[in-house]
Amino acid sequence: MSETLTVSNNGVAPGASATLELSLQGALNLALDELLAEDPKALVLGEDVGTLGGVFRVTSGLAAKHGAERVFDTPLAESGILGMSIGLAMAGFHPVPEVQFDGFAYPAVNQIVCQLARMNYRSRGAVPMPVTLRVPSFGGIRAPEHHGESLEALFAHVPGLKVVSPADPQQGYSLLKAAVRMPDPVIFMEPKSRYWQKGLVVTEAAANLGTADDGGDAPSSAEITGAGLTDAGLTGARIARPGRHLTLVAWGAMVARCLQVAELAAEDGIDVEVLDLRWLKPIDADALATSVGKTRRAVVVHEAPRTSGLGAEVAQIITERCFGTLKAPVERVTGFDVPYPSGDLEDEYIPNIDRILFGIQRVLEYKRG
Amino acid sequence: MAELPFPLPDLGEGLIEATVLDWLVAEGDQVERNQPLVEVETTKSSLELPSPQSGKVLKLYGAPGDVIKVGEPLIVFEVPDDTAGIVGTVPSEEAPKRRVRLSANLDED
Repeated sequence: MSETLTVSNNGVAPGASATLELSLQGALNLALDELLAEDPKALVLGEDVGTLGGVFRVTSGLAAKHGAERVFDTPLAESGILGMSIGLAMAGFHPVPEVQFDGFAYPAVNQIVCQLARMNYRSRGAVPMPVTLRVPSFGGIRAPEHHGESLEALFAHVPGLKVVSPADPQQGYSLLKAAVRMPDPVIFMEPKSRYWQKGLVVTEAAANLGTADDGGDAPSSAEITGAGLTDAGLTGARIARPGRHLTLVAWGAMVARCLQVAELAAEDGIDVEVLDLRWLKPIDADALATSVGKTRRAVVVHEAPRTSGLGAEVAQIITERCFGTLKAPVERVTGFDVPYPSGDLEDEYIPNIDRILFGIQRVLEYKRG
Repeated sequence: MAELPFPLPDLGEGLIEATVLDWLVAEGDQVERNQPLVEVETTKSSLELPSPQSGKVLKLYGAPGDVIKVGEPLIVFEVPDDTAGIVGTVPSEEAPKRRVRLSANLDED
């Protein structure tokens, strides 16, 4: 057991309690710290990620600890950040670039779509692209234009890319580690409105203490599974809240809102299941079929505009897999088909509690014929 | 904790500098957003500058009578590490509010 600890206990004192209370930014920082420690080929690059530690403090302290040659600032040129990452990956490195805000991924789209996503295919597997692009994503912080975009449908449409979004500190820690260890390019969408909310995180070091279902400091096997620290947990969706009557499908910041809605729905006797999709490409179709096969009703919630949003894909998967048992068409509660608005209008744009409850009610009262 | 400098902002109307009349806060003070920080005089008028954010005042630039140009350092705040330099604001966690109630006949389930 002690040998295991020396491999991956970075940042966690051996024998420390099984879980840490961290914000999402702190959990991502810990994951990057541990990844840089375990993988000498790992690099962190982007605007202000070095000296400043990132505008959201996700890379705080990493340059001082792991060296300015491994955690470094780049010019303000997203196309260059991605181009450099692709070249570094070709040379055998495992770059973790950051684009400071979602809206600034657009200047890098050519590199992402035409090079990053295709190099593995183009080279018949000879040149894999183990690049994880971190993108602070979605809205909710009253920021100016280009700082509140939801790009998941754009990137999920590109063959060769994987897309994932963590909903809370535990998911951030576990999914970032999984993404960086993958041989494929991953777009990692961090919900910026959730950066500061704290939650308990089971670290890999704590999980390596072994399970302690009989008590003690180590996490239980259920905690390890829930934390996504098993192989199965790292590639699919997860049930954030079990329920019987209806499935809310969400990702990123909308998971926390759907959990609030589920509590309110329970006051009215409606037992809502919340499915945190986590991976937006590939989508865990089996998890959707299992959940909606049970509840027979589904509402999908996302911040992105409705038309050609990922909600349409989710609704179609559910329809294909559950058509015979569905009680109602799958409802979508989404942003609107407009440019992301300024801060004052943000609360009208992002699906709020009442809009989600309305969506649930429409499904509940649907009558065939 | 992190240091966050605040330079003299553009005061409009083509003004390029201002004279410090009176500091309304002192180094070491904890200030709130919109709290008046300093009274300055331009060639047009005198005015109070509100604080752009909350934080502890670490350093003040310029004594009464000193001229500060737009863009030059005016004040340095000390702010928590996890909020320094962010674009936008940290969302507040509020208890969920609802107007919509649900009703359903689930008997046929």
